[in-house]
Amino acid sequence: MRNSVNRPPTPDAAEDPGKEPTLQEIINIKLIESGEKERLMELLRERLIECGWKDEMKALCRAFIKKKGRSNVTVDDLVHVITPKGRASIPDSIKAELLQRIRAFLVQAAV
Amino acid sequence: MSSKINHHHHHHRFNTQIFPPPCPHLAEFRARNGSKPFRALQDCLRVKPPGGRAAIRRDPSEVPRCGACGESARPRLYACLACAAISCHAPPGPSHAAAHATSMPPGHEIAVDVDRAEIFCCACRDQVYDRDFDAAVVLSQTATLKSATIQSAKPENLRKRRRVDYRPWSPDIRDRVLMETGSSPLENGSDLPRGLRGLNNLGNTCFMNSVLQALLHTPPLRNYFLSDRHNRYYCKKKNGVSNSNAGGKRNVGTADGHGNKNARLCLACDMDAMFSAVFSGDRTPYSPAKFLYSWWQHASNLASYEQQDAHEFFISMLDGIHENVEKDRHKPHSQGHGDCCIAHRVFSGILRSDVMCMACGFTSTTYDPCVDISLDLEPHQGGSSKSVSTKTHHSCNGEAGVSQTMSIRKLPLVSCFHIKRFEHSSIRKMSRKVDRYLQFPFSLDMTPYLSSSILRNRFGNRIFPFDGDEPDASNEMSSEFELFAVVTHTGKLDAGHYVTYLRLSNQWYKCDDAWVTQVNENIVRAAQGYMMFYVQKMLYYKASENRAVS
Repeated sequence: MRNSVNRPPTPDAAEDPGKEPTLQEIINIKLIESGEKERLMELLRERLIECGWKDEMKALCRAFIKKKGRSNVTVDDLVHVITPKGRASIPDSIKAELLQRIRAFLVQAAV
Repeated sequence: MSSKINHHHHHHRFNTQIFPPPCPHLAEFRARNGSKPFRALQDCLRVKPPGGRAAIRRDPSEVPRCGACGESARPRLYACLACAAISCHAPPGPSHAAAHATSMPPGHEIAVDVDRAEIFCCACRDQVYDRDFDAAVVLSQTATLKSATIQSAKPENLRKRRRVDYRPWSPDIRDRVLMETGSSPLENGSDLPRGLRGLNNLGNTCFMNSVLQALLHTPPLRNYFLSDRHNRYYCKKKNGVSNSNAGGKRNVGTADGHGNKNARLCLACDMDAMFSAVFSGDRTPYSPAKFLYSWWQHASNLASYEQQDAHEFFISMLDGIHENVEKDRHKPHSQGHGDCCIAHRVFSGILRSDVMCMACGFTSTTYDPCVDISLDLEPHQGGSSKSVSTKTHHSCNGEAGVSQTMSIRKLPLVSCFHIKRFEHSSIRKMSRKVDRYLQFPFSLDMTPYLSSSILRNRFGNRIFPFDGDEPDASNEMSSEFELFAVVTHTGKLDAGHYVTYLRLSNQWYKCDDAWVTQVNENIVRAAQGYMMFYVQKMLYYKASENRAVS
């Protein structure tokens, strides 16, 4: 990867001149740099496994693949099919917990 | 490793594993670049300790951004393997990854998901799999930078038997006539289920009675003997004729009390007699004297009227059945497949042990057959399990010690769990009993303890470079177990009593030597479990082999 020939120009660390980084981007960068994003992801993974959400999604995927046939399904198809169901079926308690964590982080990161 | 990839093969098999064929773009990429890009990627592989999750980062604090739109908060970001450009892929929105593949000259279709370390073909818009790439990821996950050689001592006869579909059968006219003339109807109107019969205590033999009650109602064992698979008359006749050849290591020449020197010890025959007696419909308590005498001959060191350990008796009995069945075609139990005798066919499973050096990742895998699983109640002080951590991998001088992962390679038909309640400490020259209460489930799913589950949790859905096992489909389907018998012990170590609880037709019965009573399941839950017997909920038929059954 280091000695590749067809390398595109290195993207600027800052965006196009005149385009300020959005609040969302700033928060994202702060989350990543402090390592909080990784912790939140791990927490979320754990909670989603505990409440059976992951198993539900797995079952949905299996059913979809069985219906369409194993060689007729791409990963994009799967993502497209289960994303709305997945988003809708996340328990409120998990959403609340994560929001609380993010709020706490923002407070102490003084954004 | 195959250097030439044949597009026409639907399934590639390497080390007996099936994995999906590469798409044309991946195949071309491999043909053009070999595995160099993957090796270069290894430097960028970051593995997070908690879950062993692998990600791609050029430096640890890098925040990947899409080169086209500058977004970093996309759910899927792909890094092109040819030129390292990062693009986002968020259908149904614009896919900059696909755009990258089409706008660049051919060769930029293959990319890697930076957060999941999985390869993707931007032209086919689907995940693709490559052995060498997955090998690189797995090696990183086992924290090794040089290629590790893995030993695996697989049992030779671990063949996968084809499963046959269930075909219902009903008797025709001739079968009906045969059945009616050859059998007598059972008495109906009995409240108690069949086969429920007390066993007389012949002098501190509750240790034997309790285990026998459990075995008499172990479904596969019961079915084997009741369907005449070991006929005691035929067995004796066979061995009476070939007396000269039956020169086993037991005292064949000893008289059995009737001056019959040709009598040959066969615990299976005695079991057969016991099954017939217990299931005959007679409800008066049965005395297993013949069986006791035979067992004394087999385990002569335990022949006394002292109280023995029920678990020890159980092991000894299985061993006795094994030794005395098919003696002329003696198959060793070392493979763990259970083809040698009915005892092992029912109870034998295979444990897998992976011992990994923490310093260099060298892993040694061994398979051992087992007929039961013994569990400690208390953390061992200086016991056998801790000694693993003092072993070190000799050739790398690592002081990091080793870690051992145990898992179940093959589940037995019947799982016996033995709780180690009796401790005999040779250091302190004393023995004691652990009375601590243990809660046990009535239904048990063994899936999380299978090798496939445990290894999958460690490495995710990767192709293992060193695990040549096919995931055993039979394990995945039949991992659910139901409790059917509990052997309990009450009292002190040297003055105690064994009692067995049996579950028949979802009703619990307490078998206390000669007294059998119906009890509520809560009594069983509160009992002090010593040996718990679980049977697979679903039994599958395998394609039969042409071998004579004893």
